Amino acid sequence: MNTRIRSSLIGGLFGFAIALISGGFAGILAGLVAGLINGFSVPQAEPLNNRAGAVRQGLVASLIASVLTILGIVIRSVLIDPVIGTPLNITSLLISIIGALILGIPVCVIMCVIRTEPPARERIGLAIVIGIVLVTYPWLDQFLNLRFMNEVIPVLVFILMALGLNIVVGYAGLLDLGYAAFFAIGAYAAGMVSSPHFGISWSFWLAIWVAAAVAALFGLILGSPTLPLRGDYLAIVTLGFGEIVPIAIKNLDKVTINIWNYPLLVDFDFTGGTKGINPINRPWLPVIGEFSPSTPIPWYFLILGIMLISIFFISRLRNSRLGRAWTALREDELAAGAMGINTVNVKLLAFAIGATVSGLAGAFYGSYISAIFPESFRFDVSVMLLCMVILGGLGNMSGVILGGIIIQFADRLFLPQFSTVVQKLIVASGNESLREVNFASDFRLLLFGLTLVLMMILRPQGLVPSGRAARVMPPVKVEVPHD
Amino acid sequence: MATPILALQDVHTYYGNIHALKGISLTVNAGEIVTLIGSNGAGKSTTLRTISGIINPRQGQISFNDTRIDRMPAHEIVRLGVLQSPEGRRIFPRLTVLENLEMGAFTRNDAVTMKEDLERVYTLFPRLRERISQKGGTLSGGEQQMLAIGRALMGRPTLLLLDEPSMGLAPVLVEQIFQIIQDINKQGTTILLVEQNALMALAVAHRGYVLQTGQIVLSDTAQALQTNETVQKAYLGVE
Repeated sequence: MNTRIRSSLIGGLFGFAIALISGGFAGILAGLVAGLINGFSVPQAEPLNNRAGAVRQGLVASLIASVLTILGIVIRSVLIDPVIGTPLNITSLLISIIGALILGIPVCVIMCVIRTEPPARERIGLAIVIGIVLVTYPWLDQFLNLRFMNEVIPVLVFILMALGLNIVVGYAGLLDLGYAAFFAIGAYAAGMVSSPHFGISWSFWLAIWVAAAVAALFGLILGSPTLPLRGDYLAIVTLGFGEIVPIAIKNLDKVTINIWNYPLLVDFDFTGGTKGINPINRPWLPVIGEFSPSTPIPWYFLILGIMLISIFFISRLRNSRLGRAWTALREDELAAGAMGINTVNVKLLAFAIGATVSGLAGAFYGSYISAIFPESFRFDVSVMLLCMVILGGLGNMSGVILGGIIIQFADRLFLPQFSTVVQKLIVASGNESLREVNFASDFRLLLFGLTLVLMMILRPQGLVPSGRAARVMPPVKVEVPHD
Repeated sequence: MATPILALQDVHTYYGNIHALKGISLTVNAGEIVTLIGSNGAGKSTTLRTISGIINPRQGQISFNDTRIDRMPAHEIVRLGVLQSPEGRRIFPRLTVLENLEMGAFTRNDAVTMKEDLERVYTLFPRLRERISQKGGTLSGGEQQMLAIGRALMGRPTLLLLDEPSMGLAPVLVEQIFQIIQDINKQGTTILLVEQNALMALAVAHRGYVLQTGQIVLSDTAQALQTNETVQKAYLGVE
């Protein structure tokens, strides 16, 4: 009973916060999110395959979540909106509430039913629910007039990178503080071969492989000097690499190379310096034509596709010999060597494969923004990615995705929206002194830091701990003989 | 009749400037248990580390089954069939007993023989079967030692290197472990055993070498060493 109330509370609080902060028809989305989270975390109805019990469980769990979500919607529409200049509209308030209930409760009930299925079918069921939500989201977004899509796409890019970083940090246990460098390298590699910058104008579909390959190569280049290093020392070297790359990119706009007074290159513009590379080709597909910045749906499905393929390959790797070698390396390098694991190759492969994923993300991002600048790949990107991995759970892909969703949506959507609402409230209250405070940008890094510190104290294994760490005591009871 | 499978010839190993092994020569014949005894800092563990490739000797030759291994990286030496249970056990604390054992079979790739080997390890160490899904770090010291030896056995060693298997264990457990070491040897695995507990080591070994400050000062059959006066005084506590 306790866990049921807790899961309902967690789902409800997410719904409450989304409805309160985003306003408008986001309340309906809030209902959906509350239902999903609730359905995930609610305890399984006993016994397995007890559908009626599961439906009851789902309905009961939905109760608190629904009440909280509706509370959020009502507070926003009745108390906040009128103050910040949107008059109360009873019709849309009612639509929001009904929509939230229509989406939220069935989703929660369906999830509860799925959760009582046997494990294999449970996994398929969960995948179908998540698939439906992901595929229909762009239209839901349009229908509800939320305009979240332009934020959802970079969120997915960052989650993809977090998955790559998870290979290096989570699987192989190599703390990498400069991971954003590979993002930059991938973006620049793709940009250079797919823009007017060098006059090479390859298609995006080719450039993305170039980006992956170049990033992997740099992964090896960074990896090789760090081979004998561990822990703190490794972190310092990668930190340095993460700082060097953007600075090098910024300064490689006037390259002059003289060999014995023979000028090989004079003022050669390699990276475009602070101007960056602009414009970068967009992908082209038959039927859709060239992807346009004003229609996010093709971009959304492109990054979703890249992500799914990456997730597939990463999970295959995870369960391969290489994956086991990474685990051994993370646990004890010396013992890993004693098991016959070639620790040098295994480390280098972790760096290279992690960098490849980031390179893919970089190529997509450059093409999506259509321009890249050295400023986009600063240290805070690396830190944010690390936050996502740690918050979700080192070494666990679903955890990392969850951590990514939470941190990225908080950073890109809810903090700015929250800050706008608060500022409007301050203006309405007539308090001039707080007018200049911008909660989103001023407190962003503070919040990341706080998240890290709190997680380390309260739940160092992350929200969803990795399967290995979570595995419990043997299910069979064993008689312990006395020594 | 004795065919050496491992031979060290005038091996010198350094830690930076410290001359740790000063010309070690020894042989291990197929089917033997050979023990290296000596006090703290004599170079026993260094000898094992040098054989297993964790450190490379600066001078000298090591050959295993007529293959030079003194310049080989550790993981290739493992592939030749030289496995070690390292000093301090070094099990993977956050992996389960089964996962630890599977790691030991990393160099091999067939599920069938792995099952056989698991069964063999569980027969030698019934306690491990009971702890199969428990995490390595939560095992008792004796169980961890069993796991470390079992993990090395999973690699199908021709030569098993054991570094201080009795370290930190209760006397009852020490006897049990040494009994199992003999069983493993009877099943056909050659063993090089490094021990501080010279009494136990000499009781199970066929031959022994006595190390002192990086040099071999005595070598003989285990029986002869047990009755040797210097050994008795220095290592067996017999006045």
